[in-house]
Formats: sequence, structure tokens, C-alpha cells
Amino acid sequence: MTGALRQVVAFGGGGFSQESGNPLLDDYVLGLTGTPNPRVCFLPTASGDADHYVVRFYNAFRNRARSSHVSLFRRERGVPDIRSHLLAQDVIYVGGGSVISLLGVWRAHGIDSILREAYEAGVILCGLSAGSLCWFAEAVSGYQDEVNRVPALGFLPHSNAVHYGDGDRRGAFHGHLLDGMPAGFAAEDGAALRFVGDELVEVVASRPEARAYKLERRGNQVLETRLATRYLGAETPDNVVPLVRQAA
Amino acid sequence: MTARRRLLALGGHDFDRRAGNDAITDLIVELAESPRPKVCLLPTASGDPEDQIARFRRAISDRDAVPHVISLFRLGENPVDLREELLNQDVIYAGGGSMVNLIAIWRAHGLDEILRECWREGILIVGQSAGAMCWFQGGITSSQGDPAVAGGFGVLPGSICVHYLSEPVRRRSFLRAIASGELEPGLGLEDQTGALFEDAELAEAISAREGAAVWEVTPEGAGGREVELESRQLEDSRPPINGTRADILELRQTLATRASRRRASRRRPGRLD
Repeated sequence: MTGALRQVVAFGGGGFSQESGNPLLDDYVLGLTGTPNPRVCFLPTASGDADHYVVRFYNAFRNRARSSHVSLFRRERGVPDIRSHLLAQDVIYVGGGSVISLLGVWRAHGIDSILREAYEAGVILCGLSAGSLCWFAEAVSGYQDEVNRVPALGFLPHSNAVHYGDGDRRGAFHGHLLDGMPAGFAAEDGAALRFVGDELVEVVASRPEARAYKLERRGNQVLETRLATRYLGAETPDNVVPLVRQAA
Repeated sequence: MTARRRLLALGGHDFDRRAGNDAITDLIVELAESPRPKVCLLPTASGDPEDQIARFRRAISDRDAVPHVISLFRLGENPVDLREELLNQDVIYAGGGSMVNLIAIWRAHGLDEILRECWREGILIVGQSAGAMCWFQGGITSSQGDPAVAGGFGVLPGSICVHYLSEPVRRRSFLRAIASGELEPGLGLEDQTGALFEDAELAEAISAREGAAVWEVTPEGAGGREVELESRQLEDSRPPINGTRADILELRQTLATRASRRRASRRRPGRLD
């Protein structure tokens, strides 16, 4: 068996949730499916299945995809067989909110193992914020008062931080790495990390200035490397930002 | 002195003006036994919807009490020390929704332990629907679609089934689960009724809607035995918005009397019915 391509696109922030009128990141994910009318299922769990969020998803994807959503707060009204529904998708799109609540609810409903199955079957997993953090081994969550280290699904063996550059996340990420957190990646709002298997293959951005970083511990220091980023708004290669290394 | 541990489990309640709901909201504020009590809503089980929060704030403010809301889904926008915040309340009200999600989320945030501490410290715990069942050994949830048994935190022994009689499928699952021993014996709570526990003992059953009752359910043979408990009747202080007006009730009564007279006059002698 050649095996399906296992893919995750992890947004630091952005897409329809945060960049109304800028469809670049969402279009990028839809483009990866290679089908003109992909099936995209939205999981708004991390927001508590907020109605306004579900409506915004449909408004954004109505004309671009065969869109659906799964609500875990109102299961009696949703799709009867969540597993077969999710396995039939081209993209599973996870919204932002609380990653701790998200993981708790998914585990309670067995969604974590269904998502693993979907991932291995080649369904593209994407999301922003909590919907990015969830795919990694560990998340740097800034959701509560302090910035916490949260064990997540571990489909990717790295750590992850989102909305990077925001508040104390950078300092907290560095601290956690020195405490033994696995090496990982941070993305700013508007930047997205595309993984095939465990490997980061590309960083794309919906804003020319958005960046992503690779972070790893070297002795008593953290090496933070700014990653080459392709701005999705222009075709010319001038927009590739050269790789710069800086010790922090 | 140890604090009195009190928990009010409600079979169905909302902070709106439907019959019985106002009276229950009055009772909650009264049970706080404090001037301008602080009442905190945890709307976790339904995903913290804005409309529920707005109704709660209005209803509590109207009663000279201080509303407070902890939204676990929006802690990023409004970070708080959960333990400190909750221990500072007079009443904590857990809203309804998905019992499975409620339990999973509270456990993930460590809130179950904090709330148990609040209960031990004498803060009145109130819960409706999923927010009522979660404190007990178990209940019947429709969180996964069809009604099914779900385990609770077990702060109190016994089981609870909410929306009793208004959701017959839920009641049937409850009776089956009690008969089979899957759930401990417990209470069936109809909408707008409640059971007040002091420590692990049922102190009082209340009903705020005419005809609505609290049922004690125990196993009996292959089924469950339901006994209606005597309830303290609560009166709405204001006319409910879905209440039936007195003149309409009178008209209904007149029509029913006339119809029964007609039936009686048509009845042939000797017929059994």
C-alpha cells in the first residue's frame, strides 16, 4: 500500500474566522485537495459550537465547497454517524476557542480516534488557534491567565504555539522548551504551517509580513529560526523571505 | 463548625418568564440567605451561548442579586482565577446542555474539584438538566443522540433523570437503568420541579408548575417503581408569559362540563366504560 498523504495545515491565526475578506489561507487549503468542489466539514467545538461561528463558516464556504459541520453540543440534531461523515471529507476544518475544552469534548465523544483515522486516510486536517494546537504533541496555550503547556493529540510529534508574538507566548514557549518540551513551531496570525507526514514542507501567509518560526533547545538556549514563507497574495518569488537564524 | 452543604437539582428551568421559572429563580435567590447574593452561572454544558447569559443576568439583577458568569470558552478574553472566583460566590448555577461535554470540560479544566470544594464550603450549588444530573452518581443524557446512561461526578449518591414525563424516552431509559441496577435508585424531576439536598439527604421537593412533580424511582421486579413525592408548591410572583388566563380556564371548564353531560346523556344503561 502506498498510503494516503497525511497532511495538516496549522494556522497561527487567520482564515475566515479572523481575516474576513481575505480568503488566501482557506483557498490554499481547498487547493491542496485537488478537487474543484471539495467536502469541508467544520468542527466548531473549541468555541462551544457558537451559532454565529457556524453561520460564518457557511457564509465563507458556501460557494467554494460542499460544506457541513458537526456539533457535539447538539448531537441529537446532527449527522447520525459522525465517523463515516468525517471519513468522507476532503478537509476537516477546526475552529478556534479553548484547546482544553476542545480536547476534553473530543475525547469524551471518541472524536480523537476518528480524526486519527481520517488523518491516516488522507483527509486534510486544518484549523487555526486551538484548531492548530490540537494536532501537535504539546500546545503552548495562552487561553487561561498564564500560558500553559497542554498535551494534545500528538498526530505531529512537535510542539506548537499560535498567535505568536502576542503577549507572553514567546517567553512561555522558550521556558517550556528549556523544561523539556519537544522542539516545535510557532506561527503568527496570517501564517500557516503545512505538514506532510511529520515534516514541515511549506510555510504560507495571507499577509506579507506574517511569519513562522522553528524553535528548538540548544543547551541552555533556545534557537528560534525564522522560516522561509511564501506570501499567497502574489505569484512572484520575490516574496520568499530568506531563512534567517537567530539565537534567542 | 462545618458548613451546611446544599444542592438544588432542577428538572428543567430557564431564566425566562414561562410558568414556574420565575418562582424557581426567586427560590434560588432566597436560598442564598444573604443580602445582594452573588450568583454565578456556569453555562458550559450548552457552550456558553450569549442569549442564555443575557437572560440570566437580567433575571438575577431584577432580584437585587449580583449576577456573574464564568465562560470557560472565553477565558482567553477574560482570564480569571477560577478557584478564587468561584469560592467568592453565594450561589453557583450550572446550566443545561450536554452532560457528556459538561463533565469532560470541567474535568479538563479541573473545575470538578473546585466545585466540590465550593459545595463543601457551603456555597449553594444549583443545577438544571445536565447541570443537575452531573452532581450525582449518574443520569440519563441525550448528549450522544439517543438517551443513555451517563456517569456524573458522584458528589451525591443516587441518580437523577430530568425533564421527567415531558421526555418519555428519557424516562423509559431511566426506569430500565434503575431496574437493571446500572443506575442507583434516584429521582425523576419534571420540568419546573426540584429537589433540595442537605448533605446527602433530600431535604425538600419543590414544584413551581401546577401538576408537575418529583418522583422517587426504585427498582421493582423487571421495572421501576415511581412514587410521587410531596412537594412544596411555589407561586410565580408575576403572571407567567405562557400562563393561561383565568377567563380561558373558566371557559375550558365550562366546555368540559357540557361535554361530559352530553356524553352522560348519550350513555346507554348497562354499558361499561
